[in-house]
Amino acid sequence: MSEVMLILRREFLERVKTRGFVLGTILFPLFLAAVLILPVMLDDGAEERRFAIVDEAPAGIGERFVQALTAPAPGAETSRYRVEVIAGPLDAVRDELHARIQADELDGYVVLPADVLERNQVQYRAKALGGPSVLREIRSAASQAVQAERLRQVGLELQQVAALIRPVEVDNARITAEGEEGADADSTFLAAYIIAMAMYMLVAMYGMSVMRSVLEEKTNRIAEVLASSVRTSYLMAGKILGVGSAALVQVLIWAVLIVLLVTQSDTIAARFGVEPDAIRSIGIAPDIAVLLIAYFLLGFFLFASLFAVLGAAVTSEQEAQSLQMVLMLPLFVPLLFLLQLAADPFGRTATILGLVPFTAPIAMPMRMAAAPIPAIQIAASLALLALALIVCAWLAGKIYRIGILSTGKRATLKDLVVWIRTA
Amino acid sequence: MSETLVLEGVSKRYATHHAVRELSLSVPPGSIYGILGPNGAGKSTTLRMVMNIIARDAGRISLLGVDPAREREVLRRVGYLPEERGLYRKMKVIDVIIFFACLKGVPADRARREGEAWLERMGLAQWRDAKVETLSKGMQQKVQFITTVLHQPEVLILDEPHSGLDPVNQEVLRDTILDAARQGRTVIFSTHNMDQAEQLCEYVCIIAGGQKVLDGRLRDVRRANRGNRYLIEFDEASAEADRFIHGNRRLLSRTQRAPELWEVELPAGDAPGELLAELARLPVPLHRFERIEPSLHEIFVAHVGNAAVAERRQEPAHV
Repeated sequence: MSEVMLILRREFLERVKTRGFVLGTILFPLFLAAVLILPVMLDDGAEERRFAIVDEAPAGIGERFVQALTAPAPGAETSRYRVEVIAGPLDAVRDELHARIQADELDGYVVLPADVLERNQVQYRAKALGGPSVLREIRSAASQAVQAERLRQVGLELQQVAALIRPVEVDNARITAEGEEGADADSTFLAAYIIAMAMYMLVAMYGMSVMRSVLEEKTNRIAEVLASSVRTSYLMAGKILGVGSAALVQVLIWAVLIVLLVTQSDTIAARFGVEPDAIRSIGIAPDIAVLLIAYFLLGFFLFASLFAVLGAAVTSEQEAQSLQMVLMLPLFVPLLFLLQLAADPFGRTATILGLVPFTAPIAMPMRMAAAPIPAIQIAASLALLALALIVCAWLAGKIYRIGILSTGKRATLKDLVVWIRTA
Repeated sequence: MSETLVLEGVSKRYATHHAVRELSLSVPPGSIYGILGPNGAGKSTTLRMVMNIIARDAGRISLLGVDPAREREVLRRVGYLPEERGLYRKMKVIDVIIFFACLKGVPADRARREGEAWLERMGLAQWRDAKVETLSKGMQQKVQFITTVLHQPEVLILDEPHSGLDPVNQEVLRDTILDAARQGRTVIFSTHNMDQAEQLCEYVCIIAGGQKVLDGRLRDVRRANRGNRYLIEFDEASAEADRFIHGNRRLLSRTQRAPELWEVELPAGDAPGELLAELARLPVPLHRFERIEPSLHEIFVAHVGNAAVAERRQEPAHV
């Protein structure tokens, strides 16, 4: 067994000591945080905008417009708009405004024309228009001001009408063993998506790493030297466990970072102006986390043994390339059914994908993120996965034993069958 | 003391060709044994069967008294250098050496100590902490040689150890092989370079087309293949000498190498004494009379001819 440890240690260190490992470990959580936070931040373009308001409109509309535009956004303390009101007409002040914009004293101006009630239009001019949110906020402020004036003319108050026509909300929550959980549909989908992608990436990446490592030993004949010192089954086990340990370390570091992110969600949310729930949605209950790691490890070992066979059967990385796509196909299938799995985690497709050992490592975590899956299904899926792993590892060991010591051309399927029978 | 390695009627057949056919040989302990042959003769296949990398189809192999296919443990007492070289490219030189030594059961601290001593000896001390991939091919080969010998194996099996080394490093390799033999280790190596074999080997086995051509002690092989040829050198060229050589009917062949230097051949079994007595009676003083020993290269060419170089083919391991 000490030989397995020696090989495990070497494979582990060779991976962990690379720049790629360190970068990947740090970059993935950053990427995750960026996915959650950046869109919100970028869309809001929080920098200050200085506008002139050319007010030609009937009395009251200008004040209401300025009031609505400079009201702080929900959750923020101040508005990002600085406005100054200039009396019209536009023709008299246009040149001066343009000059100030060129001199960068102003970002733009909004004209509220005299016939705004009839034409239903305001003009917005700026050096840089500033994205959809600026346009949306100007439209919303102008609409409020104009609607309020129209309502006043027929004898109604804006607040009164707004209260009458306010939209109805849908309060959604999942029912779990512990009762109701507050996650909404969007965050469920997001969690399923992130977990599926992470699983896929990890299994594919580290599986290929096993393959390359087998191929390296085969092509430069290290395998011949190793095989004279160690049983080939120890060799394969040590290699897969070593690469798996590196993967596990990476996953655990990510887990710690995600726990930090979630427990600090309020602070982070306030700092970046994001909904705390958006961050909390990626938090995972400890029992689910343990199951996820079990699926990851079993899935990795299953695919790693197949990748090891691939590495032992081919003679160059070019030969391996087309075949490794075939190998990864079952991993990819659950991603094709992503929407279905998240939307209907108890449906037939979801159940089948969750039981088939080659799709389960990705499909089950997705289902589990979407809904509480019955324990019996999880147990059945894990048992099938473990069984498939034992059978595959056994066959892989036989092919591996002959494959790593064979030279010449690529092995055909027929060769593999012969090898399994011989070994 | 029993033989270190014995092969009896060992054969390996692939779908399209016979790689090794009915090969028998025996390697005495503590000897330096060369397996010689042209490319594709079956040298590597033979060594790979001994190392249990590929399975033989027929015959018996006994390595240190046991069959390596049944008792794999015996292979730990062997240091094997494959024909195509390779190490983990991303590892540090010293770490690679320690890794392989530990796999063979050497404690890590001893492996480090001795690894450093070997690096010193091979002139690689300054590369200790360099990554393998930064070393030149020759340097990598020396590192690999260290990994082969560091665990002090009883037997060294080296497949074409000289290939790819410059003359200086071939010298280093030769010294280490001689050293190993002096320490009582058995060294078995394959080569197609007859000069190297001649310098090193005590025993040789020449194979071609998967079959043994001849084997035995190098001295005996030479003796058995020397023929009845002699070198005759006179003090100076003379018409009498030329007339004598040309007129001597018993000579099967005569070649004038220089005006005063002749190479002649007597019928097999004829003693040279009579010829020497006649030469002594000539008026021209005799300078040298010497039996010609064939070089290994000549023996090799005489037996193997210009054997066609076999193609490399697929070789599944079938362990």
